[in-house]
Amino acid sequence: MIPELESFKMPILSLVTLTPALGALLLTLIDRNNKALIRQIALMVSFLGLLFSLIMVGNFDATVGTMQMEENLPWIESLGISYHLGVDGFSVLLILLTSFSMPFVFLSTWKAVDSRVKEFHIALLLLQTGMIGAFVALDLILFYLFYEAMLVPMYLIIGIWGGKDRVYAALKFFIYTMVGSLFMFLAILYLYNHAGTFDLPLLLERLRTTNPLDGTQQFWLFLAFALSFAIKVPLFPLHTWLPDAHVQAPTAGSVVLAGVLLKMGTYGLLRFAIPLFPEAAMDLREEFCWLAVTGIIFGACMALVQTDIKKLIAYSSVSHLGFVVLACFMNDVESLTGAILQMVNHGLSTGMLFLMIGIIYERRHTRELADYGGLAGVVPVYSVFFIIAVLSSIGLPGLNGFVGEFLILFGAFRADAVWGILAASGVVLGALYMLKMTKMFLFGPLVHDANRSVSDLQTREILYLSPFVIMMVWLGLYPSTFTKLVQPTLNLYVQMLQN
Amino acid sequence: MEPLTLSKAEILAVLPAGALFVTGLIQLLTDLADPNKTSRQEKTHLAMIGATGALVALASLFVQGTAASTGELYAGAMTDDLFGRLGAGVIIVTSLFCTLMAGGYLSSSGNNRAEFHALVSFSAGAMVLLCQSTNLVSMFVAIETLSLAVYVLAGFFRQQKAASEGAFKYFVMGAFSSGFLLLGMAIIYGLSGASLSFSAIAAAGASDDALFAVGALLVLIGFAFKVGVVPFHSWVPDVYQGAPTLAVGWMAVAVKASSFFALCRFLYHTGGGAYMDQILIALSIVTMILGNLAALNQQSLKRMLAYSGIAHSGYLMIPLIVALSGDDILIGASLPFYLCAYAGTTLAAFGVLTALSKATDKDQLGDLNGLAKSRPLLALGFTVALISLAGIPLTAGFIGKLMIFRDAIGAGFVQLAVIGILTSLVSVYYYLRPIVAMWFRDPRSSFDLIPAPWGVQFTVGACGIATIVFGIFPDWLVELSRISVETILG
Repeated sequence: MIPELESFKMPILSLVTLTPALGALLLTLIDRNNKALIRQIALMVSFLGLLFSLIMVGNFDATVGTMQMEENLPWIESLGISYHLGVDGFSVLLILLTSFSMPFVFLSTWKAVDSRVKEFHIALLLLQTGMIGAFVALDLILFYLFYEAMLVPMYLIIGIWGGKDRVYAALKFFIYTMVGSLFMFLAILYLYNHAGTFDLPLLLERLRTTNPLDGTQQFWLFLAFALSFAIKVPLFPLHTWLPDAHVQAPTAGSVVLAGVLLKMGTYGLLRFAIPLFPEAAMDLREEFCWLAVTGIIFGACMALVQTDIKKLIAYSSVSHLGFVVLACFMNDVESLTGAILQMVNHGLSTGMLFLMIGIIYERRHTRELADYGGLAGVVPVYSVFFIIAVLSSIGLPGLNGFVGEFLILFGAFRADAVWGILAASGVVLGALYMLKMTKMFLFGPLVHDANRSVSDLQTREILYLSPFVIMMVWLGLYPSTFTKLVQPTLNLYVQMLQN
Repeated sequence: MEPLTLSKAEILAVLPAGALFVTGLIQLLTDLADPNKTSRQEKTHLAMIGATGALVALASLFVQGTAASTGELYAGAMTDDLFGRLGAGVIIVTSLFCTLMAGGYLSSSGNNRAEFHALVSFSAGAMVLLCQSTNLVSMFVAIETLSLAVYVLAGFFRQQKAASEGAFKYFVMGAFSSGFLLLGMAIIYGLSGASLSFSAIAAAGASDDALFAVGALLVLIGFAFKVGVVPFHSWVPDVYQGAPTLAVGWMAVAVKASSFFALCRFLYHTGGGAYMDQILIALSIVTMILGNLAALNQQSLKRMLAYSGIAHSGYLMIPLIVALSGDDILIGASLPFYLCAYAGTTLAAFGVLTALSKATDKDQLGDLNGLAKSRPLLALGFTVALISLAGIPLTAGFIGKLMIFRDAIGAGFVQLAVIGILTSLVSVYYYLRPIVAMWFRDPRSSFDLIPAPWGVQFTVGACGIATIVFGIFPDWLVELSRISVETILG
């Protein structure tokens, strides 16, 4: 708590959300040939965003489980749409994760992106506004707006600055996401006609008291919401857009996609789909848990046989987010804490892995595992960072990945031993494919001469990787700094579902 | 016979259309007086002065009149209400933009003749009257006047085979549809005891008669031809492809908008008879599905926009269905808003096409390749228009779809909303293709880099900005749209 700041009530959530968009507006005025200035401004704007979200966390009252720092202004009154923002335990860490990643994403692109630099930075900044906006929006249409607003910049980032098959991958990403979100849009409109509001807290209240939904309505509405979020997660078998998008996206795109965008799916389940339609969610719990467990195993098995490093990490994401979905349907505080931690952890470890692959790709221009081997002797510093990221992803005790996975497995075993066993075997498989990849990538004989001359990390690169390592260790050794922020909200949430 | 006396309201009500007709006549006369056809600039200026005059006359209606209807003017032939003024506003502003773009477009295509401006003025005047008309005869005369002008515009590049073919097809089809329209009107006239005005027809209480349903259906078919509703749409792609791009833009926006305004008024007043709602539902579903599916595979941008326009006619029928369902809270207020949003985006899209095409040849998808590199602002404007047509948030098109689907669900037509959403999804695919071409592909080597005329740049820019502004702050237009629909119901 920072008492001085509380006294003059600045619209802190608006600042966190809209600063990047204002930065994008500023960039449109800059001469496109002045690439250095564009990069510096974007970096500064993203640091400003980080500063605002740190102030937000400073103001966050960890003893309260309800919405905080709410801003509620009428926006389109004739259609009943309001500008309603708020933050609670579900979103606070995810907002922090987003603002934390962006400056380092910008730093990582200084060498990698050299064409249409201006448009690239504008797209990334707009993407940041879209992501944070989706985390803070409490009006369903406002949420839908931010949710869609992420789509166009990401589409452009993949389509313009991506790899060889970028147009195909971008289109697949767009169409997949659009399928889900349009059904959600329909469901939102249905809810409005049913309960007369787009406002989430009001809607939750009315669905519980004055305007309850019957079983069939709940079933279909839940499916419409869940489909949209399951595509975003992505939940098996709706994951097929992800490997394509990751492989074709530029490094920055992959980092944002894996680090933040995928969390939109699991966040949406927790924020909207399950609390709005709790009975339908309970009825379909088994089905979703089985899909999640299948995704864990399937993603891990697919990762085991990949030869392209980016594709491997993409499938590992399918596996890791399966854990989160599993935990979302557990409805106990431990599992849900695990789910939120796992979201943050996955953002950190996978984000860092994609950054590191981007670094080596800039030097060698290949992502095939077979083209590497024996790098540990050539680039020792790089190897140390890479191994830390891998160990974090595996869930080594002492690093961040362990806590979340442990809590989720614990909850899974309690619910059904079969799910627990299958999910746990996913952890084992995870260690297997990650270590296998590390072996082929860093160790073994140095067979390719091109690898001898690869240069080690530069200061700039160490600078943007180190914060990730610090956060990994912090979360691994002292997770309660973060879990205490989410506990009260989760307690309330579980109480609400049990009633 | 009573002596002809005109009230002040009657004089004011015809001023916008009158200004346009007079401008058209002056165009023709000055053209006769100028045998060398040299004063190209002046013709454009004259057309703009005329449209601006009409706009001023319309503004004076807004200032003088109240929102509610003035009642029947000219013995029930027309009225002056907010609904009609809104329609007139869309048409006059569209004609102003078309005139702005016409100068550069016509001279670069070597067909710079005063008739173009005169025809746009005549058809605009007729369209304004169509939006205001409240009886069968004035409605029919307005439709015929605008149609004749637009037939000629479609074949304006008479040296070209495709243009003549398209215009001829349009003329034959149009004559057919006029036949349907007139037959339907005759039946209604006979059944309702020789009443011409909509309110008298409604008061005559003949709408339960089965024959009345036939008459209303025939009128509907007449309009369905004009706005391109499946299965009466087959002329649309061919005519769009052959006609001058600018004339297509004019047709796509103004003919569709004025016809929908008139159809809306006709149906709201008369109720449309038995089975009208089922017929509209069926037509709407078929139009949404076939229009969007047919647009998927078009390589020609004009054909793609033609099918997209057909699909939008399908969406625009949903407010009519909602209104006829009799739920008085949701009176289909989304129709005027959606038409305004559609007009802005379609104008921007055709504006970009006129900049690409000297005549009618350059309208292939590949012609857009790399446009973002050579003309970034034009590409941005086109992208905004396409995104709005696809109904993606922060555009007016999104708000329009939101209103339409919300009303459909509210009135219990969930199936229409589901089909609307599914077909919107299909539409996203074909609206993305030009975006891919503009932003993701490299320019063709033969790409000519003639700067777009300033009129085109201005139109695309203004429409693009309006699309975004009304996507973020739509309150004013939503309210206007709602009140205007309330005024026709009295």
